[in-house]
Amino acid sequence: MSQLIWNGLFVGSFYALVALGYSMVYGIIKLLNFAHGDIYMLGAFAGFAMLTMAGALATSAGFLALLVVLLIAMLATGTAGLILERVAYRPLRSAPRLSVLITAVGASFALEYGMRLVAGPNPEVYPVRLEGTTVHLLGARVTVQQLALVVIAVLLMLGLQWLIMGTGTGRAMRAIAQDPKASLYMGINVNAVIARTFFIGSALAGAAGVMAGAYYGKIDFLMGFIIGLKAFTAAVIGGIGNIKGAMLGGLVLGMLEAFGTAWLGGEWRDVFAFSFLILFLTLRPTGLLGERVTERV
Amino acid sequence: MTLPSRRPRSRSAYLGVFAASIVLTGCGGGLLSSGEEGGGSDEPIVLGMITPLSGSSAAIGPYMQNGAQLAIDEINADGGIDGRELELVVEDGACDPRTATAAANKLVTDGIDISIGGYCSGATLPTLPIFEKAGVPMIIPAANSTELVEQGLSNVFLINGTGTQQADAAVEYMTGQNATRVALVDDNTSYSTDIAERTAELLEEGSGPEVVLHESVTAGESDYSANVNAVVQSDPDFVYWTGYYQEGGLLVRQLRQAGYTGPIMVADGSVDQQLVEIAGPENAEGVFATMTQTPDTIPGAEDWIADYREKFDAEPGPYSTQSYDAVRVAAEAVREAGSTDTEDVIAALEGIDGLELFSGPLKFTEEHTLSSGGFLILSVQDGKFALEDALD
Repeated sequence: MSQLIWNGLFVGSFYALVALGYSMVYGIIKLLNFAHGDIYMLGAFAGFAMLTMAGALATSAGFLALLVVLLIAMLATGTAGLILERVAYRPLRSAPRLSVLITAVGASFALEYGMRLVAGPNPEVYPVRLEGTTVHLLGARVTVQQLALVVIAVLLMLGLQWLIMGTGTGRAMRAIAQDPKASLYMGINVNAVIARTFFIGSALAGAAGVMAGAYYGKIDFLMGFIIGLKAFTAAVIGGIGNIKGAMLGGLVLGMLEAFGTAWLGGEWRDVFAFSFLILFLTLRPTGLLGERVTERV
Repeated sequence: MTLPSRRPRSRSAYLGVFAASIVLTGCGGGLLSSGEEGGGSDEPIVLGMITPLSGSSAAIGPYMQNGAQLAIDEINADGGIDGRELELVVEDGACDPRTATAAANKLVTDGIDISIGGYCSGATLPTLPIFEKAGVPMIIPAANSTELVEQGLSNVFLINGTGTQQADAAVEYMTGQNATRVALVDDNTSYSTDIAERTAELLEEGSGPEVVLHESVTAGESDYSANVNAVVQSDPDFVYWTGYYQEGGLLVRQLRQAGYTGPIMVADGSVDQQLVEIAGPENAEGVFATMTQTPDTIPGAEDWIADYREKFDAEPGPYSTQSYDAVRVAAEAVREAGSTDTEDVIAALEGIDGLELFSGPLKFTEEHTLSSGGFLILSVQDGKFALEDALD
């Protein structure tokens, strides 16, 4: 039982990190950025490239090297998010939402198969792996590296919370989420703030990518696909557009999967996860924490 | 290509396919005219191969393509077949049913004479009716789900051991190892569930080990802790993974991290150096595998490996030998049949007796499979798959 909870929390913290970017972008420009999962993949590959280049240096420095790589990879994927927004989404800002959605799907494929051209179709193995000792915590087997990763995820989320609630940029983001036109009249540089949102969301996904690479060890150019869908599900469960909802949704989805697999068997894991997506979309489209949104005219 | 031979038995039903192939090959001009002249022309004999060049099993594609190309170059260097050269057309199947279906249609319109591809069973299954309608005999080098031959299509031949034969080998080895509680894990694809289900059937019939868990994972994910937890909870003393190497590597690693110390065995789709890399050498050490012959385990294959290395500047991998053999089987059949006529080639394939393949002398069974699977047991020794038990 406690093992299931821990497994769920651990997987859930990855979902949450990726779901945050989904939710932030949706909250501000009502776009489902389907390329977001591939930004996660990009982060994993950025980390892989740096660790490979650093070679023996990275291996000897271990965890510290990973932290540095994590930060640089976040900058790199953040920048990739900026470029994505500038190239693919900004020109379509006034286009119908469906066009942007299709562009997002296109951008996702472009990233996936672009990476395939660069890195090849074969999976790569991270040169630095997190190997940790196992401790028993309330009857669950927990490894030290899992704890470290969850702590990093929580720190990143706390940082984001501060950024959104305690800084000018955050206030501008919230304002645009409420009413982009009015924000423009109030002198907010809407494009710049949207770009920053993409940067932050993509950096978080990139961090999750490096963490997944270092923990699971295997990365490939399609690794972002399923986690993208799962993160989307997490965002919907928590209430899409809601930051705290994305965090909660990620953890809830992780738990649902862990318990669903234990009760019904592994082949039901995705059926279980995605049935909850459908359930929420039909019964409570605003999610667990989402507020009732009235349609703007 | 010989269009008259390709004409389906019931013309009206398949007129559409026929018309489409005329339209699509019409621009090639020469192809159509050669068909009218019959099989004796000097047009090349075109072999089509669908193999994963992208997607989760993309690593296998080049092995298969190179293996086939090696055989084709050797046969062409000897003057081809009745003066006709062999030619290889490769399409990406991506281990994905939809991509593979599109690839099969493309190969048919390209006018291939024989198909020598097929790696992932799940992606190969939907191509069977396409090649069947177009009258293309299929010599499948790698895909080996029993479902492939269960439909009883006359044009389908498997030169890899089948899922049933692999399950036999697995059960024989588990029993020999005195396993008592076996956990089976598959990835929900045709190939994987086929082996797992047949292993489960054999174990339930027999008096040896019992099945304590039959679990499925979703391919393409990274975290299998939920599945691993279920496996550990069922307290097995033998785990058999029947899927492919990417998930296999993760599963082996996560099983060991979760404290499972007993033996783990993987099926042939997982035999790849990448499994060891992904799992980490210390976790993969001692992992068993049910596998058909690979270049490394075949006595006397050193010359072949040297040829391969020289030609492609790469090491041969899984299924390069089977693809090499698929070309040789196709060539033998055309030589015997004296043409590329569908019925004649199928009859010639059924008549082959004793052609020396890497897996032994070839004689197809009634079901168009190998009479013996030729499976043996490998294990990871010093970070590499090596022969453990030949199961003689």
